[in-house]
Amino acid sequence: MTKRNPISVPEGYFQNLEQRLQQIPAQTAAPSRVHRFAPYLAYAASLAVLAVIGNFILGKTAVQEDTGWDYVSYLAQSLDPDGLVELKEAEELSEDDIRNYLLASNISVEQINMTLYEEDY
Amino acid sequence: MESPEQVFNKIVKDYSERLYWHVRRMVGSHQDADDLLQDIFLKIWTALPSFRGEAQLYTWVWRIATNETLNWLRKEKVRAMLRFASADELAAQKVEADPYFNGTDAEREVAKAIARLPEKQRQVFIMRWWDELSYEEISAITGTSVGALKASYHIAQEKVKLNLSDSQVSK
Repeated sequence: MTKRNPISVPEGYFQNLEQRLQQIPAQTAAPSRVHRFAPYLAYAASLAVLAVIGNFILGKTAVQEDTGWDYVSYLAQSLDPDGLVELKEAEELSEDDIRNYLLASNISVEQINMTLYEEDY
Repeated sequence: MESPEQVFNKIVKDYSERLYWHVRRMVGSHQDADDLLQDIFLKIWTALPSFRGEAQLYTWVWRIATNETLNWLRKEKVRAMLRFASADELAAQKVEADPYFNGTDAEREVAKAIARLPEKQRQVFIMRWWDELSYEEISAITGTSVGALKASYHIAQEKVKLNLSDSQVSK
């Protein structure tokens, strides 16, 4: 295989690109150490939301004896990709919900494929 | 001591063009490469305070760029899958439709064959073949052993040849 660059860019692109990229600091807040904790804060917030929802459901469905049923775990599992098919079938999640969830997750493409289209396997 | 803005501007000056070509070859179109490059440099800017100099700046910048690119390709793959389309074919179609491609038909076929490689193999192939990085540099950036990279490059090369011969047969 021979090598010659067969692709090009619009005229003056790189000069313009450099100028646009150098505007990023002015357009965004100064970077701080808080940014490093942002993912952990988001994770903590998600857990807090789950805990609140779980607590609410527990309060609504309180029974006399302890059944050992952990609603918070149940909800957490429902948000797991393995629960997507059931939620999809129960129409509790729209296609958009699932799409957004999958795009934001770190789940492998292969796993998503198997989960959504497992009947094809 | 340099301010964060000065360090960032130096990174833009030193790396933007080279990273553009890497990203462009990975994603297949000028527009996508331009959008993704903005995201990469935004990430570099926000992550700058966490750079402690343990890795070389060069390795650190490339690592962010390659991770962001793989993440972008992964999202493209999910989007394609949810539309029951093949991400590999969509990538090849982007090469076909690229208005800034001015090579020969044979060069277009090579670009399409590379676009059809699985993303991690494509990444190793492009870093070695087009970006001319050494295996040691790629290893530092990707965290993959040199041996595994050599194997991946060899397999990618064979797949490109196979893709090329398949496209010749189907014509």
